[in-house]
Amino acid sequence: MTRHPLVGWLLLAPSLLLLGGLVVFPILYNIWLSLHDKHAFMPVQTFVGLRHYLYFARDVEFWTSVEYGVIYAGGTLLLQLLLGISAALLLNEGFRGRNLLRGVVLFPYMIPTIVAVILWKWLLNDSYGLVNHLLLAAGLVRVPVAWLGKDHIMQSLIITSVWQFFPFVVVTYLARLQTIPPELYEAAKVDGATAWRRFVHVTLPQTANVLFVIVLLRSIFMFTKFDTVWLMAGEGGVSRYVRTLPVYAYARSFTYLQAGMGAALAVLMFLLLVAITAVYFRVFHAEEATG
Amino acid sequence: MKRAAALYLGGLVLLVIGAFPLAWMLSTALKPSGEIFATPPTLLPRTITLENFQRLFTETSFLTYFANSVTVSLATVLVTLTVSSMGAYGLTRFAFRGRERVAGLILMTYMFAPIMIIIPFYILVKQLGIVNTRLALVLSYTTFCLPFCLWLLRSFFQSIPLELEEAAMVDGASLPRAVWYVVLPLALPGIIAAGIFTFILAWNDFLFALVLITSEELKTLPVGVNDLFNATIVDWGMIMAAGVVITVPTIAFFVAVQRYLVQGWGAGGVKG
Repeated sequence: MTRHPLVGWLLLAPSLLLLGGLVVFPILYNIWLSLHDKHAFMPVQTFVGLRHYLYFARDVEFWTSVEYGVIYAGGTLLLQLLLGISAALLLNEGFRGRNLLRGVVLFPYMIPTIVAVILWKWLLNDSYGLVNHLLLAAGLVRVPVAWLGKDHIMQSLIITSVWQFFPFVVVTYLARLQTIPPELYEAAKVDGATAWRRFVHVTLPQTANVLFVIVLLRSIFMFTKFDTVWLMAGEGGVSRYVRTLPVYAYARSFTYLQAGMGAALAVLMFLLLVAITAVYFRVFHAEEATG
Repeated sequence: MKRAAALYLGGLVLLVIGAFPLAWMLSTALKPSGEIFATPPTLLPRTITLENFQRLFTETSFLTYFANSVTVSLATVLVTLTVSSMGAYGLTRFAFRGRERVAGLILMTYMFAPIMIIIPFYILVKQLGIVNTRLALVLSYTTFCLPFCLWLLRSFFQSIPLELEEAAMVDGASLPRAVWYVVLPLALPGIIAAGIFTFILAWNDFLFALVLITSEELKTLPVGVNDLFNATIVDWGMIMAAGVVITVPTIAFFVAVQRYLVQGWGAGGVKG
């Protein structure tokens, strides 16, 4: 009848065309570009083979950007998990105003990055910011902290990012928490388990799978994060104290206009992610086998 | 009793973390310039003024950026929903070889963050002759929303029994009519969730707008506001006013359909 396979393909065609043309083709084109010397705007290019890769292997800036990337992704991941899981556990309990709070917690995730960044730059402003005012008033510091200066910019960036992205952890973790059978907790209660022991022996094992996915997705997401980092530190000044790999790749391509080198950095970013993911899967599966 | 107190204390902390920064933004936006820099800062504005908003609307191109963002985001939602509903329907209602593999490949493209292909993407868009157009933005956002929307809608379509639309067709409806009147209404929560996801992605995007748009009159909000921020000495009242105006559509949109969104996120988020 009308269920001819061809119609199915036809309906899929626009999606495949877009994904093929604007994602798959650029991925291949990117690999090709990384083997060439190419200006970002000019149409000429010369083949250089693996020269860009060899260059980055000895490039201090590259290794620094990997290091900053690991600090940034690691720091934000850890704090997001801590804050996100605590919030999810709280929002899984019954109390008045819970549903409203569930909505409010999503706000930071909804707002554009630019808003999160300008908002935290205002809160962390050294002379007029609320954070410094509160710290001074509480006597925790004696002179205003230069939160956006070179010594603290990484911390400020991490704070802003955690605030912006922890709701993702809340939503996914809470969704899983709600499906844990209550009988498990009741059984543990009968056995006299404390709240902490119930969390360790019931909640954690039950949510291990979703945690695995959350950690994986968040790591990839934070490691490739561009806009928050770039907006927080700009291009000059303190930006080199938070220049993670995505920002470095962007700078190579669009500031120095070295499209070939930028493309090589993108490939390296991808390879690093694949390597991290492979190790992660291996460690996790090993744990599962022994535990 | 102790337990209830702990819960409410935790709730209060969470409320402060989630909402206070935004409340502070609103409060600053409503203060006159003098009060913004007062020490100690005032929690609520002593005098409420709209002068920051007025300056934002009259002395900057903010309204242009706003109109551009609205146009681009709504166009993206429309295109994405059309393309992904068609695709998801094709993936669930037609049996053809390699169907599951295609679905898997589509999901794989979701793993590529825009930053990883932005260089070839830019060169490609330039060669197509659509650099510095709204079309380029709409196409970019549609492409990057597609994998998620296709998978989300696919899971919704899968849960709708085929018999329902066949029954409608037995009653004389054509396939398109059966889809329009039977399938799509039942998949509405999924469609709304996909629409919101798309809207937020398009409304919030910074990278594509930064790279693909060069002329002032085509800039969208995130890039435009960043320019305002970098322009000269920061006018904090005006910048916070801009933040408030950008945030309102997202939150209003979200509050209106929160129920559907959480449902959709639950379905798509855990699988993705």
